[in-house]
Amino acid sequence: MIDGSLTLSDICVRSSGRTLLQIDHLHVPAGDFVGIVGTNGAGKTTLLKVAAGLIRPDGGQVTLDGSDLTRLSGWRKCELRKHIGYIPQSAEYNAELPFTVREVVAMGRTSVRPLLTRLNTDDYGIIDRWIDALGLADRRNQTFRSLSGGEQQKVLIARAMAQDPRILMLDEPCASLDFHWKYEISEIVERLHRQTRMTVLMVSHDTGVLPSTCRRVVLLAEGRLLGDGDVDAILTPEKLRQAYHGDLVAATVGGRRHILAAPSGGGSPTNREM
Amino acid sequence: MDPFFYLIIAAGVIAGASCGLLGAYIVGLRLPFVGIFISHTAMAGTVFSYLLGLNPVVGAVAISALAAMSLAAIRPGRTRIDPNVAMAILFSLVLGLTFLGIGLIQGTRTEILGLLWGSILFVRGSHVVVIAVAAATFVLFVALFNKELKALLFSRGVASATGVHETFVYALFLALCGVILAVNLPLIGGLMIFSLITNPAAAAYQICRGHRAVLVVSTAFGVLSTVGGFLVSYWADLPTGACIVLASTLLFALSAGYRAFSGRTD
Repeated sequence: MIDGSLTLSDICVRSSGRTLLQIDHLHVPAGDFVGIVGTNGAGKTTLLKVAAGLIRPDGGQVTLDGSDLTRLSGWRKCELRKHIGYIPQSAEYNAELPFTVREVVAMGRTSVRPLLTRLNTDDYGIIDRWIDALGLADRRNQTFRSLSGGEQQKVLIARAMAQDPRILMLDEPCASLDFHWKYEISEIVERLHRQTRMTVLMVSHDTGVLPSTCRRVVLLAEGRLLGDGDVDAILTPEKLRQAYHGDLVAATVGGRRHILAAPSGGGSPTNREM
Repeated sequence: MDPFFYLIIAAGVIAGASCGLLGAYIVGLRLPFVGIFISHTAMAGTVFSYLLGLNPVVGAVAISALAAMSLAAIRPGRTRIDPNVAMAILFSLVLGLTFLGIGLIQGTRTEILGLLWGSILFVRGSHVVVIAVAAATFVLFVALFNKELKALLFSRGVASATGVHETFVYALFLALCGVILAVNLPLIGGLMIFSLITNPAAAAYQICRGHRAVLVVSTAFGVLSTVGGFLVSYWADLPTGACIVLASTLLFALSAGYRAFSGRTD
Protein backbone atom coordinates (compact mmCIF):
# COMPACT_ATOMS: atom_id res chain seq x y z
CA MET A 1 0.00 0.00 0.00
CA ILE A 2 1.36 3.41 -0.91
CA ASP A 3 0.88 6.58 1.15
CA GLY A 4 -0.47 8.74 -1.67
CA SER A 5 1.96 11.66 -1.76
CA LEU A 6 2.64 13.24 -5.12
CA THR A 7 5.38 15.56 -6.36
CA LEU A 8 5.65 17.22 -9.75
CA SER A 9 9.01 18.81 -10.52
CA ASP A 10 10.20 20.77 -13.57
CA ILE A 11 7.18 19.61 -15.56
CA CYS A 12 6.87 20.91 -19.08
CA VAL A 13 4.25 19.89 -21.65
CA ARG A 14 4.41 21.40 -25.12
CA SER A 15 2.28 20.95 -28.20
CA SER A 16 2.83 22.56 -31.60
CA GLY A 17 5.44 24.90 -30.14
CA ARG A 18 3.05 26.16 -27.45
CA THR A 19 3.67 25.51 -23.77
CA LEU A 20 0.57 23.88 -22.29
CA LEU A 21 1.97 23.38 -18.82
CA GLN A 22 5.06 24.59 -17.00
CA ILE A 23 5.36 23.71 -13.33
CA ASP A 24 8.60 24.02 -11.39
CA HIS A 25 7.51 22.35 -8.19
CA LEU A 26 4.26 21.10 -6.77
CA HIS A 27 4.13 18.81 -3.76
CA VAL A 28 0.95 17.22 -2.45
CA PRO A 29 1.45 15.45 0.90
CA ALA A 30 -0.49 12.25 1.56
CA GLY A 31 -4.05 12.85 2.66
CA ASP A 32 -4.31 16.44 1.39
CA PHE A 33 -7.33 17.77 -0.48
CA VAL A 34 -6.13 20.06 -3.26
CA GLY A 35 -8.39 22.02 -5.59
CA ILE A 36 -6.95 22.80 -9.01
CA VAL A 37 -8.67 25.93 -10.32
CA GLY A 38 -8.41 28.29 -13.29
CA THR A 39 -10.23 29.16 -16.52
CA ASN A 40 -10.75 26.91 -19.51
CA GLY A 41 -7.42 26.20 -21.19
CA ALA A 42 -5.41 27.11 -18.09
CA GLY A 43 -3.90 23.61 -18.01
CA LYS A 44 -5.95 22.03 -15.20
CA THR A 45 -6.81 18.81 -17.03
CA THR A 46 -3.30 18.61 -18.49
CA LEU A 47 -1.91 18.85 -14.95
CA LEU A 48 -4.21 16.07 -13.75
CA LYS A 49 -3.34 13.85 -16.72
CA VAL A 50 0.36 14.36 -16.17
CA ALA A 51 -0.12 13.41 -12.50
CA ALA A 52 -2.03 10.26 -13.56
CA GLY A 53 0.63 9.37 -16.12
CA LEU A 54 -1.82 9.76 -19.03
CA ILE A 55 0.31 12.47 -20.61
CA ARG A 56 4.04 11.97 -20.66
CA PRO A 57 5.56 15.39 -20.05
CA ASP A 58 8.26 16.67 -22.42
CA GLY A 59 10.41 17.16 -19.35
CA GLY A 60 10.34 16.71 -15.59
CA GLN A 61 9.38 14.08 -13.03
CA VAL A 62 6.12 12.89 -11.56
CA THR A 63 6.91 11.21 -8.28
CA LEU A 64 4.17 9.09 -6.76
CA ASP A 65 5.11 7.61 -3.41
CA GLY A 66 8.82 8.00 -4.16
CA SER A 67 8.79 6.43 -7.66
CA ASP A 68 9.12 8.45 -10.86
CA LEU A 69 6.04 7.58 -12.96
CA THR A 70 7.63 8.90 -16.16
CA ARG A 71 10.52 6.45 -15.95
CA LEU A 72 8.85 3.24 -14.83
CA SER A 73 8.34 0.28 -17.16
CA GLY A 74 4.77 -0.52 -18.19
CA TRP A 75 4.33 -3.26 -15.59
CA ARG A 76 5.75 -1.32 -12.64
CA LYS A 77 3.69 1.67 -13.69
CA CYS A 78 0.52 -0.43 -13.53
CA GLU A 79 1.48 -1.66 -10.05
CA LEU A 80 1.73 1.92 -8.84
CA ARG A 81 -1.28 3.28 -10.69
CA LYS A 82 -3.67 0.75 -9.24
CA HIS A 83 -3.73 3.05 -6.21
CA ILE A 84 -5.00 5.94 -8.35
CA GLY A 85 -8.75 6.46 -8.65
CA TYR A 86 -9.54 8.56 -11.71
CA ILE A 87 -12.83 10.23 -12.63
CA PRO A 88 -12.65 11.71 -16.13
CA GLN A 89 -14.70 14.27 -17.98
CA SER A 90 -17.64 12.76 -19.80
CA ALA A 91 -16.00 12.99 -23.24
CA GLU A 92 -13.44 10.44 -22.10
CA TYR A 93 -15.67 7.48 -21.47
CA ASN A 94 -18.05 5.53 -23.60
CA ALA A 95 -21.38 6.28 -21.92
CA GLU A 96 -23.50 4.75 -24.71
CA LEU A 97 -22.43 1.15 -24.15
CA PRO A 98 -25.07 -0.94 -22.36
CA PHE A 99 -22.93 -1.71 -19.30
CA THR A 100 -24.97 -2.15 -16.15
CA VAL A 101 -24.20 -0.03 -13.10
CA ARG A 102 -22.75 -3.07 -11.35
CA GLU A 103 -20.49 -3.82 -14.32
CA VAL A 104 -19.13 -0.27 -14.33
CA VAL A 105 -18.46 -0.32 -10.57
CA ALA A 106 -16.83 -3.77 -10.95
CA MET A 107 -14.29 -2.23 -13.35
CA GLY A 108 -12.80 -0.58 -10.27
CA ARG A 109 -11.58 -4.01 -9.12
CA THR A 110 -9.89 -4.79 -12.48
CA SER A 111 -6.42 -3.52 -11.66
CA VAL A 112 -6.59 -4.74 -8.06
CA ARG A 113 -6.71 -8.33 -9.32
CA PRO A 114 -3.83 -9.71 -11.44
CA LEU A 115 -4.10 -10.51 -15.14
CA LEU A 116 -5.75 -13.85 -16.02
CA THR A 117 -7.83 -13.95 -12.85
CA ARG A 118 -11.51 -13.33 -12.34
CA LEU A 119 -13.15 -11.17 -9.73
CA ASN A 120 -14.19 -13.28 -6.75
CA THR A 121 -17.00 -13.05 -4.21
CA ASP A 122 -14.93 -10.72 -2.00
CA ASP A 123 -14.64 -8.33 -4.93
CA TYR A 124 -18.36 -8.42 -5.56
CA GLY A 125 -18.94 -7.81 -1.85
CA ILE A 126 -16.86 -4.63 -2.08
CA ILE A 127 -18.58 -3.63 -5.33
CA ASP A 128 -22.05 -4.04 -3.84
CA ARG A 129 -21.03 -2.21 -0.68
CA TRP A 130 -19.98 0.85 -2.68
CA ILE A 131 -23.12 0.70 -4.80
CA ASP A 132 -25.17 0.78 -1.59
CA ALA A 133 -22.96 3.44 0.03
CA LEU A 134 -23.64 5.82 -2.85
CA GLY A 135 -27.37 5.16 -2.79
CA LEU A 136 -27.43 3.31 -6.10
CA ALA A 137 -28.93 0.05 -4.81
CA ASP A 138 -32.09 0.31 -6.92
CA ARG A 139 -30.02 1.19 -9.99
CA ARG A 140 -27.70 -1.83 -9.69
CA ASN A 141 -28.93 -3.72 -12.77
CA GLN A 142 -29.95 -0.73 -14.84
CA THR A 143 -27.68 0.37 -17.65
CA PHE A 144 -25.24 3.19 -17.05
CA ARG A 145 -26.49 4.94 -20.19
CA SER A 146 -30.05 5.20 -18.81
CA LEU A 147 -28.97 7.23 -15.75
CA SER A 148 -28.92 10.99 -15.32
CA GLY A 149 -25.60 12.87 -15.38
CA GLY A 150 -25.51 13.13 -11.59
CA GLU A 151 -26.21 9.44 -11.09
CA GLN A 152 -23.55 8.54 -13.65
CA GLN A 153 -21.08 10.64 -11.68
CA LYS A 154 -22.00 8.68 -8.53
CA VAL A 155 -21.39 5.40 -10.38
CA LEU A 156 -17.95 6.63 -11.44
CA ILE A 157 -17.18 7.58 -7.85
CA ALA A 158 -18.31 4.13 -6.68
CA ARG A 159 -16.07 2.57 -9.33
CA ALA A 160 -13.08 4.62 -8.18
CA MET A 161 -13.75 3.77 -4.51
CA ALA A 162 -14.14 0.04 -5.21
CA GLN A 163 -10.50 0.23 -6.20
CA ASP A 164 -9.62 1.36 -2.66
CA PRO A 165 -7.45 4.18 -3.98
CA ARG A 166 -4.84 6.11 -2.00
CA ILE A 167 -5.15 9.06 -4.33
CA LEU A 168 -8.35 10.18 -6.05
CA MET A 169 -8.22 12.44 -9.10
CA LEU A 170 -11.40 14.12 -10.29
CA ASP A 171 -11.65 16.12 -13.51
CA GLU A 172 -14.52 18.63 -13.30
CA PRO A 173 -16.84 16.16 -11.53
CA CYS A 174 -19.54 18.81 -11.11
CA ALA A 175 -19.44 20.47 -14.51
CA SER A 176 -22.67 20.15 -16.52
CA LEU A 177 -24.60 19.08 -13.43
CA ASP A 178 -27.49 21.11 -12.09
CA PHE A 179 -27.37 23.06 -8.85
CA HIS A 180 -28.65 20.27 -6.63
CA TRP A 181 -26.32 17.59 -8.03
CA LYS A 182 -23.25 19.83 -7.96
CA TYR A 183 -23.40 20.09 -4.20
CA GLU A 184 -24.43 16.50 -3.66
CA ILE A 185 -21.39 15.25 -5.61
CA SER A 186 -19.15 17.74 -3.85
CA GLU A 187 -20.41 16.59 -0.45
CA ILE A 188 -19.87 12.93 -1.35
CA VAL A 189 -16.24 13.67 -2.26
CA GLU A 190 -15.78 15.57 0.99
CA ARG A 191 -17.25 12.71 3.02
CA LEU A 192 -15.08 10.10 1.29
CA HIS A 193 -11.97 12.18 1.88
CA ARG A 194 -12.82 12.47 5.57
CA GLN A 195 -13.53 8.75 5.92
CA THR A 196 -10.54 7.37 4.03
CA ARG A 197 -7.90 10.12 4.42
CA MET A 198 -6.87 9.50 0.82
CA THR A 199 -5.19 12.25 -1.19
CA VAL A 200 -7.68 14.12 -3.40
CA LEU A 201 -6.91 16.24 -6.45
CA MET A 202 -10.05 17.93 -7.76
CA VAL A 203 -10.03 19.98 -10.94
CA SER A 204 -12.78 22.58 -11.13
CA HIS A 205 -13.18 25.89 -12.91
CA ASP A 206 -15.88 26.70 -10.35
CA THR A 207 -14.38 27.18 -6.88
CA GLY A 208 -17.87 27.10 -5.38
CA VAL A 209 -18.07 23.32 -5.75
CA LEU A 210 -14.86 22.69 -3.82
CA PRO A 211 -15.86 21.37 -0.38
CA SER A 212 -15.09 23.52 2.64
CA THR A 213 -12.46 20.97 3.76
CA CYS A 214 -10.47 21.83 0.65
CA ARG A 215 -8.18 24.40 2.25
CA ARG A 216 -5.50 24.35 -0.42
CA VAL A 217 -5.91 25.49 -4.00
CA VAL A 218 -3.57 25.52 -6.97
CA LEU A 219 -4.44 28.41 -9.29
CA LEU A 220 -3.40 27.98 -12.91
CA ALA A 221 -3.34 30.52 -15.73
CA GLU A 222 -1.99 29.85 -19.21
CA GLY A 223 -0.27 26.67 -18.09
CA ARG A 224 1.60 28.28 -15.21
CA LEU A 225 1.21 28.22 -11.45
CA LEU A 226 -0.24 31.56 -10.43
CA GLY A 227 -0.59 30.55 -6.82
CA ASP A 228 -0.48 27.54 -4.54
CA GLY A 229 -1.53 27.62 -0.92
CA ASP A 230 -4.35 28.40 1.47
CA VAL A 231 -7.65 29.30 -0.21
CA ASP A 232 -7.77 32.76 1.36
CA ALA A 233 -4.19 33.58 0.40
CA ILE A 234 -4.65 32.50 -3.22
CA LEU A 235 -8.14 33.63 -4.18
CA THR A 236 -7.31 37.33 -3.88
CA PRO A 237 -8.80 39.96 -6.20
CA GLU A 238 -5.40 40.56 -7.87
CA LYS A 239 -4.73 36.90 -8.61
CA LEU A 240 -8.32 36.31 -9.74
CA ARG A 241 -8.07 39.25 -12.13
CA GLN A 242 -4.96 37.68 -13.62
CA ALA A 243 -6.39 34.16 -13.83
CA TYR A 244 -10.00 34.81 -14.76
CA HIS A 245 -9.62 38.13 -16.61
CA GLY A 246 -12.11 40.30 -14.79
CA ASP A 247 -12.76 42.24 -11.60
CA LEU A 248 -13.57 39.42 -9.25
CA VAL A 249 -13.54 38.67 -5.55
CA ALA A 250 -13.86 35.44 -3.61
CA ALA A 251 -16.53 35.35 -0.94
CA THR A 252 -17.44 32.63 1.51
CA VAL A 253 -21.03 31.52 1.11
CA GLY A 254 -22.13 28.52 3.13
CA GLY A 255 -18.55 27.49 3.90
CA ARG A 256 -17.55 27.48 0.23
CA ARG A 257 -15.42 30.00 -1.60
CA HIS A 258 -17.38 31.38 -4.52
CA ILE A 259 -15.88 33.65 -7.12
CA LEU A 260 -18.11 36.67 -7.59
CA ALA A 261 -18.03 39.80 -9.68
CA ALA A 262 -16.35 42.58 -7.71
CA PRO A 263 -18.90 44.95 -6.17
CA SER A 264 -18.86 48.28 -7.93
CA GLY A 265 -19.83 51.21 -5.73
CA GLY A 266 -21.21 49.31 -2.77
CA GLY A 267 -23.76 47.11 -4.56
CA SER A 268 -24.06 43.56 -3.31
CA PRO A 269 -21.93 41.07 -5.23
CA THR A 270 -23.76 38.96 -7.77
CA ASN A 271 -22.90 35.33 -8.09
CA ARG A 272 -21.30 34.82 -11.44
CA GLU A 273 -21.30 31.21 -12.57
CA MET A 274 -17.78 30.60 -13.75
CA MET B 1 -27.75 -32.65 -49.51
CA ASP B 2 -24.10 -33.16 -50.37
CA PRO B 3 -21.36 -32.91 -47.72
CA PHE B 4 -20.02 -29.77 -49.36
CA PHE B 5 -23.17 -27.96 -48.33
CA TYR B 6 -22.43 -28.76 -44.68
CA LEU B 7 -18.83 -27.60 -45.06
CA ILE B 8 -20.10 -24.22 -46.28
CA ILE B 9 -22.53 -24.06 -43.36
CA ALA B 10 -19.69 -24.87 -40.93
CA ALA B 11 -17.50 -22.17 -42.49
CA GLY B 12 -20.38 -19.71 -42.31
CA VAL B 13 -21.07 -20.46 -38.64
CA ILE B 14 -17.41 -20.03 -37.66
CA ALA B 15 -16.81 -16.92 -39.80
CA GLY B 16 -20.05 -15.32 -38.64
CA ALA B 17 -19.40 -16.10 -34.98
CA SER B 18 -15.84 -14.80 -35.00
CA CYS B 19 -16.73 -11.64 -36.93
CA GLY B 20 -19.73 -11.04 -34.66
CA LEU B 21 -17.71 -11.44 -31.46
CA LEU B 22 -14.79 -9.37 -32.78
CA GLY B 23 -17.25 -6.71 -33.93
CA ALA B 24 -18.63 -6.31 -30.41
CA TYR B 25 -15.17 -5.04 -29.40
CA ILE B 26 -14.43 -3.06 -32.58
CA VAL B 27 -17.76 -1.23 -32.41
CA GLY B 28 -17.59 -0.82 -28.61
CA LEU B 29 -14.08 0.62 -28.80
CA ARG B 30 -15.30 2.96 -31.56
CA LEU B 31 -12.80 1.54 -34.01
CA PRO B 32 -14.77 0.92 -37.21
CA PHE B 33 -11.98 2.45 -39.28
CA VAL B 34 -9.48 0.13 -37.64
CA GLY B 35 -11.61 -2.78 -38.84
CA ILE B 36 -11.73 -1.51 -42.38
CA PHE B 37 -8.01 -0.65 -42.35
CA ILE B 38 -6.90 -4.04 -41.03
CA SER B 39 -9.10 -6.03 -43.40
CA HIS B 40 -7.65 -4.15 -46.37
CA THR B 41 -4.14 -4.59 -45.03
CA ALA B 42 -4.89 -8.31 -44.99
CA MET B 43 -5.98 -8.00 -48.60
CA ALA B 44 -2.74 -6.25 -49.58
CA GLY B 45 -0.83 -8.92 -47.63
CA THR B 46 -2.58 -11.70 -49.54
CA VAL B 47 -1.96 -10.08 -52.93
CA PHE B 48 1.72 -9.52 -52.27
CA SER B 49 2.35 -12.96 -50.80
CA TYR B 50 0.69 -14.37 -53.93
CA LEU B 51 3.04 -12.24 -56.06
CA LEU B 52 6.10 -13.38 -54.08
CA GLY B 53 5.00 -17.00 -54.15
CA LEU B 54 4.42 -17.24 -50.38
CA ASN B 55 1.49 -18.86 -48.63
CA PRO B 56 -1.22 -16.15 -48.94
CA VAL B 57 -2.88 -16.92 -45.58
CA VAL B 58 0.40 -16.77 -43.65
CA GLY B 59 1.41 -13.56 -45.44
CA ALA B 60 -1.92 -11.90 -44.77
CA VAL B 61 -1.96 -12.92 -41.12
CA ALA B 62 1.58 -11.70 -40.51
CA ILE B 63 1.12 -8.36 -42.28
CA SER B 64 -2.24 -7.50 -40.78
CA ALA B 65 -1.25 -8.54 -37.25
CA LEU B 66 1.84 -6.33 -37.53
CA ALA B 67 -0.12 -3.40 -38.96
CA ALA B 68 -2.78 -3.80 -36.28
CA MET B 69 -0.26 -3.85 -33.45
CA SER B 70 1.48 -0.75 -34.76
CA LEU B 71 -1.85 1.04 -34.25
CA ALA B 72 -1.46 0.50 -30.51
CA ALA B 73 1.34 3.06 -30.68
CA ILE B 74 -1.16 5.80 -31.54
CA ARG B 75 -1.88 7.37 -28.16
CA PRO B 76 -5.20 9.14 -27.83
CA GLY B 77 -4.75 12.81 -26.99
CA ARG B 78 -1.11 13.00 -28.00
CA THR B 79 -1.42 12.90 -31.78
CA ARG B 80 -1.99 16.05 -33.77
CA ILE B 81 -4.14 14.28 -36.31
CA ASP B 82 -7.52 12.77 -35.61
CA PRO B 83 -7.05 8.97 -35.38
CA ASN B 84 -9.96 8.40 -37.76
CA VAL B 85 -8.43 10.72 -40.35
CA ALA B 86 -5.05 9.00 -39.94
CA MET B 87 -6.80 5.67 -40.44
CA ALA B 88 -8.56 6.88 -43.59
CA ILE B 89 -5.20 7.95 -45.04
CA LEU B 90 -3.57 4.63 -44.14
CA PHE B 91 -6.60 2.88 -45.60
CA SER B 92 -6.15 4.60 -48.96
CA LEU B 93 -2.49 3.63 -48.86
CA VAL B 94 -3.19 -0.09 -48.43
CA LEU B 95 -6.01 0.03 -50.96
CA GLY B 96 -3.62 1.59 -53.48
CA LEU B 97 -1.04 -1.10 -52.72
CA THR B 98 -3.68 -3.83 -53.13
CA PHE B 99 -4.69 -2.63 -56.58
CA LEU B 100 -1.08 -2.10 -57.56
CA GLY B 101 -0.41 -5.72 -56.56
CA ILE B 102 -3.44 -6.96 -58.50
CA GLY B 103 -2.21 -5.04 -61.53
CA LEU B 104 1.21 -6.70 -61.28
CA ILE B 105 -0.22 -10.22 -61.29
CA GLN B 106 0.41 -11.99 -64.60
CA GLY B 107 -2.18 -14.20 -66.22
CA THR B 108 -5.50 -15.09 -64.62
CA ARG B 109 -6.61 -12.97 -61.70
CA THR B 110 -9.81 -14.82 -60.83
CA GLU B 111 -8.48 -16.22 -57.58
CA ILE B 112 -7.15 -12.93 -56.33
CA LEU B 113 -10.21 -10.94 -57.40
CA GLY B 114 -12.24 -13.40 -55.35
CA LEU B 115 -10.67 -11.71 -52.33
CA LEU B 116 -12.80 -8.67 -52.96
CA TRP B 117 -16.13 -10.42 -52.62
CA GLY B 118 -15.15 -13.70 -51.01
CA SER B 119 -15.62 -17.27 -52.11
CA ILE B 120 -17.38 -19.08 -49.29
CA LEU B 121 -18.90 -21.43 -51.91
CA PHE B 122 -15.45 -22.79 -52.79
CA VAL B 123 -14.20 -23.21 -49.22
CA ARG B 124 -11.76 -26.04 -48.51
CA GLY B 125 -11.84 -28.21 -45.40
CA SER B 126 -8.33 -27.13 -44.44
CA HIS B 127 -9.40 -23.50 -44.45
CA VAL B 128 -12.32 -24.25 -42.15
CA VAL B 129 -9.79 -25.68 -39.70
CA VAL B 130 -7.72 -22.50 -39.94
CA ILE B 131 -10.63 -20.17 -39.20
CA ALA B 132 -11.77 -22.50 -36.39
CA VAL B 133 -8.35 -22.31 -34.72
CA ALA B 134 -8.29 -18.51 -35.08
CA ALA B 135 -11.81 -18.25 -33.64
CA ALA B 136 -10.93 -20.52 -30.71
CA THR B 137 -7.84 -18.42 -29.97
CA PHE B 138 -9.91 -15.26 -29.94
CA VAL B 139 -12.55 -16.79 -27.65
CA LEU B 140 -9.78 -17.89 -25.29
CA PHE B 141 -8.33 -14.37 -25.31
CA VAL B 142 -11.74 -12.86 -24.54
CA ALA B 143 -12.28 -15.31 -21.69
CA LEU B 144 -8.85 -14.72 -20.17
CA PHE B 145 -8.85 -10.94 -20.41
CA ASN B 146 -12.56 -10.34 -19.92
CA LYS B 147 -12.22 -7.94 -17.00
CA GLU B 148 -9.50 -5.86 -18.67
CA LEU B 149 -11.41 -5.75 -21.97
CA LYS B 150 -14.50 -4.43 -20.20
CA ALA B 151 -12.48 -1.63 -18.62
CA LEU B 152 -10.95 -0.81 -22.03
CA LEU B 153 -14.34 -0.69 -23.70
CA PHE B 154 -15.60 1.79 -21.13
CA SER B 155 -12.55 4.04 -21.29
CA ARG B 156 -8.97 3.32 -22.33
CA GLY B 157 -7.87 6.49 -20.57
CA VAL B 158 -9.37 5.60 -17.19
CA ALA B 159 -8.16 2.01 -17.53
CA SER B 160 -4.64 3.26 -18.14
CA ALA B 161 -4.74 5.86 -15.33
CA THR B 162 -5.94 3.31 -12.79
CA GLY B 163 -3.31 0.67 -13.47
CA VAL B 164 -5.12 -1.73 -15.82
CA HIS B 165 -2.64 -3.34 -18.27
CA GLU B 166 -4.21 -1.33 -21.06
CA THR B 167 -1.36 -1.14 -23.59
CA PHE B 168 -0.60 -4.86 -23.34
CA VAL B 169 -4.20 -6.04 -23.67
CA TYR B 170 -4.98 -3.52 -26.42
CA ALA B 171 -1.95 -4.53 -28.50
CA LEU B 172 -2.83 -8.21 -28.08
CA PHE B 173 -6.43 -7.45 -29.08
CA LEU B 174 -5.32 -5.61 -32.23
CA ALA B 175 -3.00 -8.45 -33.21
CA LEU B 176 -5.81 -11.00 -32.87
CA CYS B 177 -8.08 -8.63 -34.73
CA GLY B 178 -5.57 -8.76 -37.60
CA VAL B 179 -5.49 -12.57 -37.46
CA ILE B 180 -9.29 -13.00 -37.46
CA LEU B 181 -9.79 -10.55 -40.30
CA ALA B 182 -6.96 -12.05 -42.38
CA VAL B 183 -8.10 -15.67 -42.14
CA ASN B 184 -11.78 -14.88 -42.77
CA LEU B 185 -11.03 -12.54 -45.65
CA PRO B 186 -10.87 -15.20 -48.40
CA LEU B 187 -14.32 -16.45 -47.40
CA ILE B 188 -16.20 -13.20 -46.81
CA GLY B 189 -14.21 -10.86 -49.04
CA GLY B 190 -12.57 -7.53 -48.32
CA LEU B 191 -15.58 -5.52 -49.39
CA MET B 192 -18.03 -7.38 -47.19
CA ILE B 193 -16.18 -8.42 -44.05
CA PHE B 194 -16.58 -4.88 -42.79
CA SER B 195 -20.37 -5.11 -42.67
CA LEU B 196 -20.11 -8.43 -40.87
CA ILE B 197 -17.91 -6.79 -38.23
CA THR B 198 -20.09 -3.71 -37.80
CA ASN B 199 -23.75 -4.65 -38.28
CA PRO B 200 -24.28 -7.58 -35.88
CA ALA B 201 -22.43 -5.73 -33.10
CA ALA B 202 -24.21 -2.43 -33.69
CA ALA B 203 -27.51 -4.35 -33.62
CA ALA B 204 -26.58 -6.04 -30.33
CA TYR B 205 -25.64 -2.71 -28.73
CA GLN B 206 -29.13 -1.45 -29.61
CA ILE B 207 -31.09 -4.10 -27.78
CA CYS B 208 -28.90 -5.57 -25.03
CA ARG B 209 -28.49 -4.83 -21.38
CA GLY B 210 -25.17 -5.89 -19.90
CA HIS B 211 -21.86 -6.81 -21.50
CA ARG B 212 -22.34 -10.57 -21.59
CA ALA B 213 -25.63 -10.17 -23.47
CA VAL B 214 -23.90 -7.99 -26.07
CA LEU B 215 -21.24 -10.64 -26.69
CA VAL B 216 -23.77 -13.47 -27.01
CA VAL B 217 -26.24 -11.57 -29.21
CA SER B 218 -23.53 -10.09 -31.45
CA THR B 219 -22.02 -13.54 -32.01
CA ALA B 220 -25.45 -15.02 -32.71
CA PHE B 221 -26.32 -12.22 -35.14
CA GLY B 222 -23.02 -12.83 -36.95
CA VAL B 223 -23.95 -16.51 -37.39
CA LEU B 224 -27.48 -15.62 -38.42
CA SER B 225 -26.15 -13.21 -41.07
CA THR B 226 -23.75 -15.68 -42.70
CA VAL B 227 -25.89 -18.79 -42.49
CA GLY B 228 -29.16 -16.97 -43.20
CA GLY B 229 -27.58 -15.06 -46.09
CA PHE B 230 -26.11 -18.25 -47.53
CA LEU B 231 -29.37 -20.20 -47.30
CA VAL B 232 -31.35 -17.39 -48.96
CA SER B 233 -28.78 -17.16 -51.75
CA TYR B 234 -28.85 -20.95 -52.14
CA TRP B 235 -32.60 -21.24 -52.46
CA ALA B 236 -33.23 -18.01 -54.39
CA ASP B 237 -30.10 -18.41 -56.55
CA LEU B 238 -28.67 -14.98 -55.63
CA PRO B 239 -25.05 -13.85 -55.01
CA THR B 240 -23.97 -15.20 -51.59
CA GLY B 241 -21.84 -12.26 -50.42
CA ALA B 242 -24.59 -9.77 -51.17
CA CYS B 243 -27.16 -11.85 -49.29
CA ILE B 244 -24.88 -12.08 -46.23
CA VAL B 245 -24.34 -8.32 -46.16
CA LEU B 246 -28.03 -7.61 -46.63
CA ALA B 247 -28.97 -10.11 -43.91
CA SER B 248 -26.67 -8.35 -41.42
CA THR B 249 -28.08 -4.96 -42.40
CA LEU B 250 -31.61 -6.29 -41.96
CA LEU B 251 -30.72 -7.51 -38.45
CA PHE B 252 -29.48 -4.05 -37.58
CA ALA B 253 -32.62 -2.40 -38.96
CA LEU B 254 -34.85 -4.79 -36.99
CA SER B 255 -32.91 -4.18 -33.76
CA ALA B 256 -32.95 -0.40 -34.16
CA GLY B 257 -36.68 -0.59 -34.94
CA TYR B 258 -37.30 -2.77 -31.91
CA ARG B 259 -35.49 -0.32 -29.65
CA ALA B 260 -37.33 2.68 -31.09
CA PHE B 261 -40.83 1.20 -31.03
CA SER B 262 -40.73 -0.98 -27.93
CA GLY B 263 -40.31 2.15 -25.83
CA ARG B 264 -37.95 0.11 -23.74
CA THR B 265 -35.88 1.87 -21.14
CA ASP B 266 -32.83 -0.03 -19.99
